[in-house]
Amino acid sequence: MRKRWVFVALVAFLALPVLAFAGDVTLELLIHQNAPLVDYIDAFNKKFEAKYPGIKVNVSVVKADELAMSTQTRLTANDVDIIDMFGFAQGIQPYMKGADKPNWQALIEAGLLMDLTGQSFLKNFDAPTIKDAGSFNGKVYEVNTGRYAFTGVFYNKDLFAKYKVKVPTTWKDFVAACETFKKAGVPAIACGGKDGWPVLVAGYGIILSMYPDQAALVKGLWQGAIKWNDAKSLQMWQRMQVLARDLIEPGASGVAFDAAPGRFASGATAMLCAGSWDAPAIATANPKCNFGYFPLPGSDKAADNKYIAGKYDVGWVVNAKTENKDAALKWLALFSDPANYQAYVTAVGVIPTQPTAKLDTTLGREIAPYLANFRLGYELLWVQPKGAGQWAQPNAAFFKPYNQFDDAKKLADQAQADLDAGLKAVK
Amino acid sequence: MKQGYSYRFGSRGARSAPYLLLAPGLLLYLVIALGPSVATAAYSFTDASGILGSPIKWIGLDNYKEFLLMGANVRDNLQVTENTFLFCILVTVVQTVFGLAAAILLDMRMRLSNFFRTVYFMPTILGFTIVGLVWSLFLYPMGGPMQRLLGLLGLQSEFLGGASMRVFYWIVWIQIWANMGVTMIIFMGGLQTVPAELREAARIDGAGSWQVFRHVTFPLLTPSLNTNILLEIIGSLQAWQLFLVVKGPTNGINVLSIWVYALAFGRQSNNPTGIAMRQGYGAAASMVLFVIVLVVGMITQRVLARREGRILG
Repeated sequence: MRKRWVFVALVAFLALPVLAFAGDVTLELLIHQNAPLVDYIDAFNKKFEAKYPGIKVNVSVVKADELAMSTQTRLTANDVDIIDMFGFAQGIQPYMKGADKPNWQALIEAGLLMDLTGQSFLKNFDAPTIKDAGSFNGKVYEVNTGRYAFTGVFYNKDLFAKYKVKVPTTWKDFVAACETFKKAGVPAIACGGKDGWPVLVAGYGIILSMYPDQAALVKGLWQGAIKWNDAKSLQMWQRMQVLARDLIEPGASGVAFDAAPGRFASGATAMLCAGSWDAPAIATANPKCNFGYFPLPGSDKAADNKYIAGKYDVGWVVNAKTENKDAALKWLALFSDPANYQAYVTAVGVIPTQPTAKLDTTLGREIAPYLANFRLGYELLWVQPKGAGQWAQPNAAFFKPYNQFDDAKKLADQAQADLDAGLKAVK
Repeated sequence: MKQGYSYRFGSRGARSAPYLLLAPGLLLYLVIALGPSVATAAYSFTDASGILGSPIKWIGLDNYKEFLLMGANVRDNLQVTENTFLFCILVTVVQTVFGLAAAILLDMRMRLSNFFRTVYFMPTILGFTIVGLVWSLFLYPMGGPMQRLLGLLGLQSEFLGGASMRVFYWIVWIQIWANMGVTMIIFMGGLQTVPAELREAARIDGAGSWQVFRHVTFPLLTPSLNTNILLEIIGSLQAWQLFLVVKGPTNGINVLSIWVYALAFGRQSNNPTGIAMRQGYGAAASMVLFVIVLVVGMITQRVLARREGRILG
């Protein structure tokens, strides 16, 4: 008798959690590591759960360069509902022979992303964003939540004032400004060199100044009209070398990308080469940091340096096989509500993709004059031919101390040779 | 049936009993080890993306041709293979020497031997993620402990963010540091099997410490040495965790195993910013690695077995 009651008690104990959560829906959300984004989503989810008591939201956070792999494995396992996916990019153009289709296209063609066409919350977003960053073959698969600029430089206004340095508008002025700070014992530029890609991104400003029409650059490279070792490109490489070797602070190759904003915010360096996504992190690290943002002037002519390039960043896609479709759409609808979206923009610091929202922050005010000249960055358009070597990229991180090259001409020739190897292989 | 013994299952059952008892283990091996390996080999001849629902087409040797023969891939993948062999040689030689030295010292049963044995073995149980993070912090160039030490001498280093080969050699060192404990334990086990009286006899005959080690101890350590060398070669050829934790797969110098991971789970044809899932291509790269490990492992085993036979008879 006693054993029977113990057995009943054990079963009840095990069954209680199941019974307690029976009827509750758990929405699985996958996002990439971006401190302000993570903080905002946590706060937003509490609001969502309060509005919809039967729905819990569970968030998984991964590093940005692991997001694609995590997306694929979670979709395969069918244990995710809403996924943060960067805006659709690197679409295959007709002249790109033999190129791999981008991941997002493969996911759509495999039927893994939900068709969101016709959802009412899409009307809150501007039409070009829906078309450029989230559509494929006339259907909408992603709600893109914002753009970031990545060809600019954060600068410490107080340090600039202290050392009487003006915001540079030409390459010569930029180098001179950096040298002024170095002579005063202030490292010029912070950058998260350990991860490699922040130095790559830092060089994008130089590419943009040299080739403002980034789509034409991509086409020219594929079709041979532009070479990585012609005179203009060589100047680009030389300036990238100066940036990597002389202007970014020594030791930056050991600084992780998420530690660099803190270094800048603390006043350790005068500038920070990073995307505008780091603005909230700077403000959080040091609310008193008086910072601004200017386009990295890669050209000797100020008129060439008025552009700013970037990308469509966080967008929401929904697992087509989700069992929580209703809950997922409710989440997206609440997120897309103009009031909530405005709070998101302010917290995360994106350039809004809803026409009614404003980036009313320090960064927003700094970047506003350049938004009319916003371009999609090179990396959003470039698709590498198969068989192209590892150096077929305009990457400032190829130079010492980040990699092995210390001769711009050699690297330029190598880059073109590597590209030619791929173009020849896919002919 | 032997007189005096009774078989629970009867004589027919007795013959099939061993196979039945082996079946669960064999099934586990087929499902967890052999099955995925055969599937990987099959995938290497397809354009599989790994994306559920994507069609898979048989493309024959195209993946192998792309990996081994296409454009600049030949150079890049050969370089990665060279890096892999260099990593293997450095790790094997240095780890074996250090592990043996540690085992000999600890076998002397000095004070605190147990403490030091634990300390030397601890990195093994930490796991590569923690080991990689610990060393990343220790070698942080903006004021980490090692940088502060160098700073006292007026020096500075980029450490793990520096020129590619410098990172490579640091990862070699961290790999050795993380695994030396296992090498040491295996050698310590081997030292226990060396009869003390043989060493005593050699000393009585006038042999010095080095001569005792060289002519008595070391030859009798051959089985342990062979085990360690084989484990280190196979392990280092397949090592990828530290490369992932310390530097990531798209950054700087690579070895084959982390290259396989990058190709299968993200790299768009050598484009660090492009993302494309190409698990068929990654499977082909992993088969290349498998063949290398198999060939090197078999040659090593044969050479070591012959040496053991020659020394121990």
